[in-house]
Amino acid sequence: MTEYKMFEGCTIGNRIPFIEAASRKVFEKIGVITSEAPFTCCPDPTGMKSFDNDVWLALGALNLCMAEAEGKPIISLCNGCTNTLRGVQHQLKHDSHLKERVNKQLGKIGKEYKGSIEVRHFVDVIKDNLDKIQGAITKQLSGLKVACHPGCHYMRPAEWMEADDPFRPENLKKIVAATGATVVDYDELSLCCGSAVSNAYEEHGDQVLKKKLDSIVKAGADVICVNCPACFQQFDTKQRDLSKKFNENYDIPILYITELIALGMGISPGDIGLNFHRTRLKTVLDKLGL
Amino acid sequence: MVLDFEFKKQVMDHHISSDLIKYCYQCSRCTDNCPVSAVSIDFYTTSGYNPRANILNALLGYKDAIFSADPLAIWGCTVCDTCDEVCPQNIELTEIFTFLKNKSAEQGKAPEFIYGQAKAIFDNAKAIPSQSAIERRRQQLGLPEILNPDVNLVQSLMKNIGADKKLK
Repeated sequence: MTEYKMFEGCTIGNRIPFIEAASRKVFEKIGVITSEAPFTCCPDPTGMKSFDNDVWLALGALNLCMAEAEGKPIISLCNGCTNTLRGVQHQLKHDSHLKERVNKQLGKIGKEYKGSIEVRHFVDVIKDNLDKIQGAITKQLSGLKVACHPGCHYMRPAEWMEADDPFRPENLKKIVAATGATVVDYDELSLCCGSAVSNAYEEHGDQVLKKKLDSIVKAGADVICVNCPACFQQFDTKQRDLSKKFNENYDIPILYITELIALGMGISPGDIGLNFHRTRLKTVLDKLGL
Repeated sequence: MVLDFEFKKQVMDHHISSDLIKYCYQCSRCTDNCPVSAVSIDFYTTSGYNPRANILNALLGYKDAIFSADPLAIWGCTVCDTCDEVCPQNIELTEIFTFLKNKSAEQGKAPEFIYGQAKAIFDNAKAIPSQSAIERRRQQLGLPEILNPDVNLVQSLMKNIGADKKLK
């Protein structure tokens, strides 16, 4: 059985750990084994990479070195972390000059990047274990209408994420369907949540988010299902302000895909800290009779 | 407006193992599909975020058009990688924009968030440092302690690369 090094990332680990709790419970039920390592920030493919690409490469390679030292693959709970780690691997694999440059830096702190381990997004690992997920669902989530938002960095750039279609993603939908819930399609499926641009230009981020939410509301979804902590926070924390700003009434609950699966596995909402969500989950829990 | 050939060369060199950018024929599929262009471009004044214009200016070496303009010209990018996927010439636009952002950050013109996050990583090895309240919550949720990363390794790397000098 493969043992993965857990890469929970800064946002999940140090800000919204309840998502890690749900993820670990789901992993346990389907036999995905993990262990810890002293990873640094991945670092952020929208922040640090924009600040200094050489640091992005070197720090990403440093994290990969830690997993390489144990000869174990990485499982990441976050789109951003997966994108960075896979992106660094991709670039160093296809540019020997760049690899040499990064290894020169790593050599000064006694490390060497080889490119010997695999980096996997947890959604892909779950998708490979879909039969086990189905087998562990004790409470079919029938009747729940779910809008899926896999997020930009899960599927793009397709060249190095190698997970799904960059504009017509299917994996998250398949997993949601395995819980018995109903997937609702909406026009803006592949649109960004607006998180990264919000850090500098909130007005533009808000408008992107509004477009996304309007499309989801129109489709009649009960809940939005995500697999990225940045998207999660964008949807979970901004709806109230957005409602005021645009004189609307956005109040759609958000669930991480592992939280949705955990509910289907009969795990109680309290055990996975669903009370720490900002948007109220009452409508979802009522509908499921929980 | 001056053409800066050194800048142009750097742009060409940055494109991973290819010079595809020079085959850009300005079809504007990038801007047409950009989520930020869709909400920020004013058709009549041509203000707003425009990836097509960035590629043209970078390719020609029009340094001032990029770095002396409203920072939105570069930092309006939400890094969704949509332009990379729709470009008919397979230009890796986001990589070019990364290079432009790196230059802008060096000049002290990046949004505060960028310097803030880089400083947090330099100081703590994490973009979001651990806090006692969250550590308690992790315990309540039955989560293992997060192993402390080695801040010295991160600081050495950043100093050796020279990125510490770009911090504010």
